[in-house]
Amino acid sequence: MDVLEQLIFLLKGVSTTLSVSVLAFFLGTATGIPLMLLRAYGGKLWELIVEGYEKLLRGVPILILMLLFYYGIGVRIPFLRNPFVSAILALGIRSGAYQSQIFRGAMRGVGGDQMMAARSLGMSELKAFRHVVLPQMFIIASAGLGSEYALMVKDSAYAFFLGGGLLDVITRADILRATGMLANWEQPYFPYIPAALIYIALTFPLATYLDRWGSRKKKKLGI
Amino acid sequence: MGKQKEEKVGYIEREKKMADVVIEAKNVWMEYNDVIALEDVSLQVKEGEIKVLFGPSGSGKSTILRCLAMLTKPTKGKVFLRGEELTSPDVNIDKARVKIGFVFQDILLFHHLRASGNVALGLRHVLGLPKKEAKEKAMKALREVRMEKWADHYPAELSGGQQQRVGIARALAMEPEIILFDEPTSSLDPELKGEVLDTMKQLAKKGRTMLIATHEMHFSREVADEMIFLDEGRIIEQGTPKHFFTNPSTDRARRFLARLIREG
Repeated sequence: MDVLEQLIFLLKGVSTTLSVSVLAFFLGTATGIPLMLLRAYGGKLWELIVEGYEKLLRGVPILILMLLFYYGIGVRIPFLRNPFVSAILALGIRSGAYQSQIFRGAMRGVGGDQMMAARSLGMSELKAFRHVVLPQMFIIASAGLGSEYALMVKDSAYAFFLGGGLLDVITRADILRATGMLANWEQPYFPYIPAALIYIALTFPLATYLDRWGSRKKKKLGI
Repeated sequence: MGKQKEEKVGYIEREKKMADVVIEAKNVWMEYNDVIALEDVSLQVKEGEIKVLFGPSGSGKSTILRCLAMLTKPTKGKVFLRGEELTSPDVNIDKARVKIGFVFQDILLFHHLRASGNVALGLRHVLGLPKKEAKEKAMKALREVRMEKWADHYPAELSGGQQQRVGIARALAMEPEIILFDEPTSSLDPELKGEVLDTMKQLAKKGRTMLIATHEMHFSREVADEMIFLDEGRIIEQGTPKHFFTNPSTDRARRFLARLIREG
């Protein structure tokens, strides 16, 4: 295997890494927004429950969450006995706890007056949220969501521990090392470095773009 | 009285069906914690009428307007729109609010939408008009406040006065039965107040029903059918602008007017 072939072998892992990260990210958004709303509008009891839930998930190492889904709960539920599913669930559910916080901050940034102005036109609370609050929330949250996405891509590497069925970038790098296909590179740790560069390429540009886009948009709209 | 107005500013087309009460507050109380913001306030505005709420800051002008639009629920008392009780728990408040336009002191345009989008939003998603029709109607409303040239600008790109005119267009476009103005020029620099007041005078000429909280004396004199003077959450005095400005019945109104004039 020459160097180019090895690189191609690594790059084939990008689609796996991205699909785990992106699906987990959207799972995080899909749980984060309801969590935020529940904490904001659900009353004292829900506020406490959601707060506890968020603290718990943010306090546990992601690897433990993945192992818990895969080996723990997975014993009872065959559906989870799949590194893909376990990794996405663990990453997504934890991201929900983080995104809930990002969105809560963003909603505070939008402020209650925008909701009131929308309600004054006769919009229901739901419509006002959908058409007035939510779009502005995403603009304010864009930088935070960008760094959350970057964390997600990097943490998806922990799925490595769930076994070889999931051929993401890091797993492929490890295969290159372990199978000695690298003899000609002479540096046993070398495949991890291109792998690291691939992770940077997957995270840095998008996170930076979102950050800049958000600042520009906020300045233009005065929010 | 109508005749006197005609002479003053030429309100020719004004024709009032004085019998039709559009909005009414009946013995409304508002309490926050231990503070009484409104104390037994009753008022009504009939079709084609323009009433001005006058009084010092914190006298309850904003609060009564918000209660009338049910943006805050009164602690006690009733609010009626065309005889329908809005304070009743069975009422569809979103439906009722369509008929009540509201113009805010802090303007509160939707930051993420252009001027046209701000005006069209309610038309699209409340009245359910198709996109094209909503846009046309929005442009018509923007023309009415002479902001059609700025339709494609975001609020942050407009001056305060322009923003407030878009705010008025946003309320107008829904074709409300009454427009409530909550100190529409208080947040504006002095040189920008004029364009907003002019826009409101135009609406007055067209016979719009309006209830306006303001500190603008000259404007009130020109457009108001009745002045309602509030202080510490109570209606202290009510009367024609002529009577109110030249010969107020209460000491408090007199003192307040003197202060306003002193401060210019």
